[in-house]
Amino acid sequence: MSTLVDPGLAAAVGTHEEFDAAACMNCGVCTAVCPMGIEVLPRRLFRYVLLGMEEQVLQETESVYSCLLCKMCEVNCPAGVHIAENVRSLRHHLNRKVFGL
Amino acid sequence: MSGRRIGVYVCQCGGNISDHVSVEDVVAAVQEEPDVVVARTAMFTCSDATQQEIIKDIEEQKLDGIVVASCSPKLHTFTFREMSKRAGLNPYEYTQVNIREQCSWTHTDDKAGATEKAARLVRAGIARTRLTEPLEPIVVQTVPRVVVIGGGIAGLRAALGSAEIGLPVFLVEKGARLGGWVGEFDGMYPHGKNGRQLMNALVARVRRHPGIKVFLNAEVVEKSGSFGNYEVAIRVKRDSAETQAETVAETVRVQAGSVIVATGFDAYPVSDGEFGYGLEGVLTLPEFKRLVDAAAGPLEFDGRPVRSIVYIYCVGSRQPEGNQYCSRYCCTAAVHASLLVTARGAQSGGEEGRAAGGAVRPRAAGGPPRQYHLYRDIRSYGKYELLYNESREKGALYLRFPDDDPPVVERAAAAGAGGSGYRLTVTTRDLLTGGEELTIPADLVVLVTGMVPRENDELVKVLKLPVGNDGFFNEIHPKLRPVETVVDGVFICGACQSPKNSAEAVTSGLAAVTQSAAMLKRGFAELDPLIAVVDAEKCEWCGACLAACPYEAPRQVEVDGKAVAFIDKATCKGCGGCVPVCPTDAIDLQGYTDAQIRAMIAGLLQELTLCRA
Repeated sequence: MSTLVDPGLAAAVGTHEEFDAAACMNCGVCTAVCPMGIEVLPRRLFRYVLLGMEEQVLQETESVYSCLLCKMCEVNCPAGVHIAENVRSLRHHLNRKVFGL
Repeated sequence: MSGRRIGVYVCQCGGNISDHVSVEDVVAAVQEEPDVVVARTAMFTCSDATQQEIIKDIEEQKLDGIVVASCSPKLHTFTFREMSKRAGLNPYEYTQVNIREQCSWTHTDDKAGATEKAARLVRAGIARTRLTEPLEPIVVQTVPRVVVIGGGIAGLRAALGSAEIGLPVFLVEKGARLGGWVGEFDGMYPHGKNGRQLMNALVARVRRHPGIKVFLNAEVVEKSGSFGNYEVAIRVKRDSAETQAETVAETVRVQAGSVIVATGFDAYPVSDGEFGYGLEGVLTLPEFKRLVDAAAGPLEFDGRPVRSIVYIYCVGSRQPEGNQYCSRYCCTAAVHASLLVTARGAQSGGEEGRAAGGAVRPRAAGGPPRQYHLYRDIRSYGKYELLYNESREKGALYLRFPDDDPPVVERAAAAGAGGSGYRLTVTTRDLLTGGEELTIPADLVVLVTGMVPRENDELVKVLKLPVGNDGFFNEIHPKLRPVETVVDGVFICGACQSPKNSAEAVTSGLAAVTQSAAMLKRGFAELDPLIAVVDAEKCEWCGACLAACPYEAPRQVEVDGKAVAFIDKATCKGCGGCVPVCPTDAIDLQGYTDAQIRAMIAGLLQELTLCRA
């Protein structure tokens, strides 16, 4: 099943604080250093958001809340993506969307 | 016994040879050969210290022939010829024997066999050296004028460069105007400079220069003469004065010492249906660049604002069949064009209504178009990487598609993808998102097309230009002789040689200027005298040598009332193709005479006793 690309999701996620992960170059350092071993976070998850693949984002709600916000990934990110801020934005979005908060 | 005094030096090459060949046994086997005065081994014969020792031997032992048994002649022939010169010995009295590439490296499993083979090879080298004669390089006078073919950025810069160091130039352009590809575009990478303005300024300088004669609508149709002094025929088409439609051709003949070829490239011609080409909104990179250049403000296509652009990379490049090469310029050119689009900014369209299906969400009005780059590898090499970074930071999305599963471009359903009037959809897999299949709605699809060699069959024939498998012209050596061709005095530069961006084209154009000027400014050139010569007494002129020669070096002349062949010294390459076809055996190759070859064969085959001294 082909997913229709939706440029609006990133904007919707970023209504609270700006969601910005376009500089990500998919090197995978974030995945390698994650103490929680969260495989999908952040690089693939962020691409889901950027490409508007909402269904896939919702499936990963658990992962988003497993993040410790330790910023290990962020300090190691060679592209300077503000990963923790993006995770906060995502949680804000999921709070409304999934939990109705 | 020829009464020669020959020195033989067998190289160990620091183990490269001596690990698999007993160099002492080789010396022992040949030191008793007639005419051998000195025979010894050396750790590295090419080292300065050993060269000094050989020079001392030449002077003290009055050596008149040298044999060095070491590596390939490609590596050190010139090293030891120069060494001979320094010792006052004619450099053509030197023979190099290859016992590394053709012996030690190929027989690592058989030291005894390799040693015997090396001894035989060295003996053949000694046999040749017994029959060497001093030869003098062929000196040809050079005409200090240059023909430049092609009026694009490389050709114009080469013409101006040559003229500025005092070499008059004939600039030949096939089309009706100067300026080439770069003259057609506005902002271009590397520095965002306007190509049109850049080329207008360059063309004006070329036009003003008294040393440059420009021929438009012109082609080189003939090249005769020999190295250093070519006669080039240029056919110029002119609109006839009476009727505009009729064109008359006129042929101009000029004398020049060198020819610089800068005929450029063509854009990859996309076939109908290739990635949806032919559908409205599917453009090649040059077509897209013209659209971007023409836009005063935000990008529009067909009267409608452009909201979403999909770029498909490597169209016509890096194909499993067909064009296998990378076209090199296109990644950066596409990224640069997409940044120009971003800078053009907002389209005037307002809020997008949220479609019933919920596919497209509202977003702020006035943002630049969404840009999706579908690539295989982004090769924005060197400092162009910064453009790629900038593009990502400004929000462009890069999706990597699998090599064997390229994107599919289709016309969108009547209502438009997501119900918001997009013209096209592109379906692709994104390997960076786990190979998920995605459908991207688009107003424009840009096929990032590469470069193909320009059709130049006539010119290839006239100049005998070497063409590579990919159709681009070939240099002699990609690293060390990047603008010279196997045809002496004919140089190549710019994108006729390989895909290049404008900066690289200029670099190679100026390299061609330097190489050509180095030859022409000296006033003469020296050529290897290892060429074919005709014995006029034996020759009965039959033309067989002319038919066999790839360079048309032999011609018929009259000597004492008899028609015989004469081989032009500057044209002959010494390939030896004419020697065996001569029915009267009248041709010999200097430096590789029949007598020398026979002596070498005899030396190879003679009984050999290997005994350790």
